[in-house]
Amino acid sequence: MEFVSPEGLRLDGRRPMEMRQIRAEIGAVAKADGSAVFEMGNTKVIAAVYGPREVQNRSQQINDQALVRCDYSMANFSTGDRMRKPKGDRRSTEISLVIRQTMEACILTHLMPRSQIDIFVQVLQADGGTRSACINAATLALADAGIPMRDLVTSCSSGYLNSTPLLDLNYVEDSAGGPDVTVGFLPKLDKVTLLQMDSKLPIDIFEKVMQLAIEGCKAIANYIREIMLENTKQLEYRRGI
Amino acid sequence: MVGLSLGEKHFIQGGIAQDIRSDGRKRLTYRPINVETGVIPQANGSARIRMGATDVISTVKAELGKPISLQPDKGKVSIYVDCSPTAAPMFEGRGGEELSTELSVALQRSLLGGKSGAGAGIDLSSLVVVEGKICWDLYIDCLVVCSDGNLLDALGAAIKAALSNTGIPRVQVAAGASGDEQPEVDISDEEFLQFDTSDIPVIVTLTKVGRHYIVDATTEEESQMSSAISISVNRKGHICGLNKRGGAGLDPSIVLDMISVAKHVSEQLMNKLDSEIAAAEAGEDES
Repeated sequence: MEFVSPEGLRLDGRRPMEMRQIRAEIGAVAKADGSAVFEMGNTKVIAAVYGPREVQNRSQQINDQALVRCDYSMANFSTGDRMRKPKGDRRSTEISLVIRQTMEACILTHLMPRSQIDIFVQVLQADGGTRSACINAATLALADAGIPMRDLVTSCSSGYLNSTPLLDLNYVEDSAGGPDVTVGFLPKLDKVTLLQMDSKLPIDIFEKVMQLAIEGCKAIANYIREIMLENTKQLEYRRGI
Repeated sequence: MVGLSLGEKHFIQGGIAQDIRSDGRKRLTYRPINVETGVIPQANGSARIRMGATDVISTVKAELGKPISLQPDKGKVSIYVDCSPTAAPMFEGRGGEELSTELSVALQRSLLGGKSGAGAGIDLSSLVVVEGKICWDLYIDCLVVCSDGNLLDALGAAIKAALSNTGIPRVQVAAGASGDEQPEVDISDEEFLQFDTSDIPVIVTLTKVGRHYIVDATTEEESQMSSAISISVNRKGHICGLNKRGGAGLDPSIVLDMISVAKHVSEQLMNKLDSEIAAAEAGEDES
């Protein structure tokens, strides 16, 4: 199947190095301490953060740092075909773990000993790149909750189809069987915190593809920063400062 | 679950007794309702309803299936509710399952009628394509994104809004299939049939706190309830379903009184909801 046309356009009309349209909104869940919606094209996720608060299960309490927990769930209607999924299947457990580890790496957990931070991500629509969208949403939600972080971790995926590196794969491109590189990146510290790839790639091409994903992460970080600035201005305005 | 001090409890109960609640509402006033339709493009119809901090999404997906042999002239509708852990940390994992099932069953009871489907708010016979062979199966999936009380009313309203947003593709049946053969069908991509949603009931939950009852209770108010009755009423004022929750017993005369109040409130709610849905649909068409 042809994923990049001779004119250099992808199936959904994007250029190879073009990201889907991203949109973010802070404060989507009124009752949570912090929350955000993040959309990448048709992929749409909600993240809610509760905490830092008292540890629910005493045996999990850590005396010198905060306990970070994460739960990833997909809505029944999120995929094209309706699914009746069992809760806690292997895929969502794995993604929960990935998100938890990524967020734990950037939260300053040592500042909040003996407390717990819960991150819940809910996929409303899945069209490829849910992992990345969830991490971006979680970052915004954590920032909204006012949880101290080293940096704003952002994530983006990229792939390699028809001998072209492609940024931000959608579902059709993702299921084409080519390599799918997901990168989590700390833009200020210039460090990669998450790196996953399936399928195989020569090393020199992998370098290119990874670099592309990193560029994507940087672009998302800029956007997230803008959204947060806008949100803070709104808060400032409402307080009448 | 809700941490309230003794003073706060007295304040809520006292306010309800004096017909002015903590947020300034009267006993029979709803919170402002915000309707958004077409939020999930992948579904045949969808809507998001916000009542105060309560936030629910409802979607409708239609699939072709086979009618059950006992009712060859009726389609099938099933309602599932899922409580997202974003709404409350205790819904994590299987924690929300009990509430989800309770809500699903209550919604099915209120909207779908009995086993025969005779009293259903949704006209099941309109879902049949070829009698006894092909019908539409409607899967109504609801998601609770944020919970601040009165979930059942919000879900009922969301389902009503989602169904008015639903377009079912027109199906052409190839002629000539005879006997027991499954006829071939051609699903149109362009022509959609709209649902008649005027008969779909709204659900009004009356929550009894102290000697009085209130509509659209928040989580704090629900924590003080002795019992609650959810009544679904259609446009004609007929009761389509009834559900009582909570441990305390109710005097039969009070039940009847509550039903008549619910009927009165449902008219206002129905009108408000219809205008909100129409506004949301108009807004969606423009954009």
